[in-house]
Amino acid sequence: MRVLLTPKALIGLSLVAVFALAAIGAPFLVPEELTTKINVLARLKPPSLAHPLGTDQLGRELVWRVLLGAHTSLVIAVLAVALSLVVGLPLGVVSGYFGGWTDHSLMRLVDTLLSFPVLLLALTISAVLGPSVPNTILAIGIAFSPYLSRIVRGETLRVAALPYVEAARSQGASNWRIIRLHIVPNIMAPVIVQATISVAFAILAEAALSFLGLGTQPPTPSWGLMIQASRDYLDVAAWTALVPGVAVAATVLGLNMLGDVLRDVLDPTLVTER
Amino acid sequence: MSYLARRGALFVLTLFLISIVTFAITHILPGDVAMMIMGTQSNPTALAGLRESLGLNDPLIEQYGRWIGGMLTGDWGVSLRYKEPIAALIGQKVTASAMIVVLSLLIALATAIPLGVVSAVYRDRWQDTAGSGLALAGISLPDFFWGIVLILLISRGLGWLPSSGYASPTEDFWLAFRHALLPATALGLSLMAHLTRMTRSAMLEVLGQDFIRVCRAKGLGHGAVVFRHALRNAISPVVTVAGLQLGYLFGSIIVIESLFNYTGMGWLTYQALLNRDVPLIQSTVFVIAAVVMLANLVVDVLYTLIDPRVRLE
Repeated sequence: MRVLLTPKALIGLSLVAVFALAAIGAPFLVPEELTTKINVLARLKPPSLAHPLGTDQLGRELVWRVLLGAHTSLVIAVLAVALSLVVGLPLGVVSGYFGGWTDHSLMRLVDTLLSFPVLLLALTISAVLGPSVPNTILAIGIAFSPYLSRIVRGETLRVAALPYVEAARSQGASNWRIIRLHIVPNIMAPVIVQATISVAFAILAEAALSFLGLGTQPPTPSWGLMIQASRDYLDVAAWTALVPGVAVAATVLGLNMLGDVLRDVLDPTLVTER
Repeated sequence: MSYLARRGALFVLTLFLISIVTFAITHILPGDVAMMIMGTQSNPTALAGLRESLGLNDPLIEQYGRWIGGMLTGDWGVSLRYKEPIAALIGQKVTASAMIVVLSLLIALATAIPLGVVSAVYRDRWQDTAGSGLALAGISLPDFFWGIVLILLISRGLGWLPSSGYASPTEDFWLAFRHALLPATALGLSLMAHLTRMTRSAMLEVLGQDFIRVCRAKGLGHGAVVFRHALRNAISPVVTVAGLQLGYLFGSIIVIESLFNYTGMGWLTYQALLNRDVPLIQSTVFVIAAVVMLANLVVDVLYTLIDPRVRLE
């Protein structure tokens, strides 16, 4: 556990903790009317004591908007990654465990999906379904699942060849039992690492989708939408872009650092490398 | 040769599957094409008329056949929004995107390899902390945010480069280059960060091998060991990652080209998506996926040229 005391681990953990607290606490802490209240007199005010992070083009306080944006980001990113696990995990396990023809056809499909850039796939799905929060989750979740199933398949191949799986089989265990008790628990470490990093990517994807108007729709607070709105005021109010930008960056940085650390802790094959 | 033939056959098969997925996304998902074009509040008779004229009442397999037949014979249909033949529209935009993609690859490789080498050689010292930190920051910031920062600093602040627009390289190469430089930089930054991390870990692995000790033992200078022996052996995974990241680049051009109003493939795709221009969506999505796949194929072949140890299975 010494690895958890390195500066990288501590910074990563604190960034993620701050983000998680903000995301979970925001809907309870921030009075709804404060975030949507339009105050024309306080348009584009720079950060000050009265306006901690400044105000946006409608006079709304950025500090509240950015906190609620954390909530939106977290909900969408976590649910999207959960969805990609629900799709990718069974696909990868079945493909890796049964091999042969099943593996061939499933992986051909996965390879095909991998030819589509994630963002392109997510944007197209979102545009076809109509942009909304649930559809953003669906779009990002589907776009991510081929990556997860690739990793799950590789791990399943590795674990399925281990002696204890053979031992279980020779004792007459059914495929379902072997998958449930021996394969899945033993492939979880790299899957957790990948899921952590995927949450970071999902936050970036949500920001990009919303930035392009094909993700979260106003008036729901979203970091991508905030950056989008700031484009017209860059010359006079750079903070309207910098506040949500720094929020995205800090969160994703924290998740990436945590992902790196988790990899060191959970993946015994990488002990020698850092 | 049989390797190339097999890869070629696989390429055609995957291309076919890509066309099916592209078609499926725009047809099988709940949104109906006619409704996408006219909106959910539209007049039912008008909707029915549009469905009929677009051939949406025909069986899906027939619609797919018509589409793929057109794609193969060069008749890519007409854009609903621009009322122009799609093949011509895409043809105009490809050069623009190719320019920023190639430029961003060059920027990324030219900065990432030195940074990664320095990080590995000075492992755990301040040079490494700085290099790795920079790389981690690079992959953590959304590229459109980098784009905004670049616009604020380089374009608005210093006034060095234009912040928006596209110029044709055949008309005015220098102007085209100036227009492409900022989007390419924004596009290349996250790739640079990935490649720096990759170069660092590949270099660390090679520097730990026995032959490096032999090189040092026989009295080779530091530079010769690092560049002539270590880097040459570490470069192929870096090239592979650069190739695989091309897919990521082609996703990012949608955001970056829209941000910089740079009218390339990404911009066109975005316009198609925003305007629910289904024929144009199908063609642009198909072309981008096909290009990504082709790029991966080229990287695989290049890989065998760079690193003769990789056997052609």
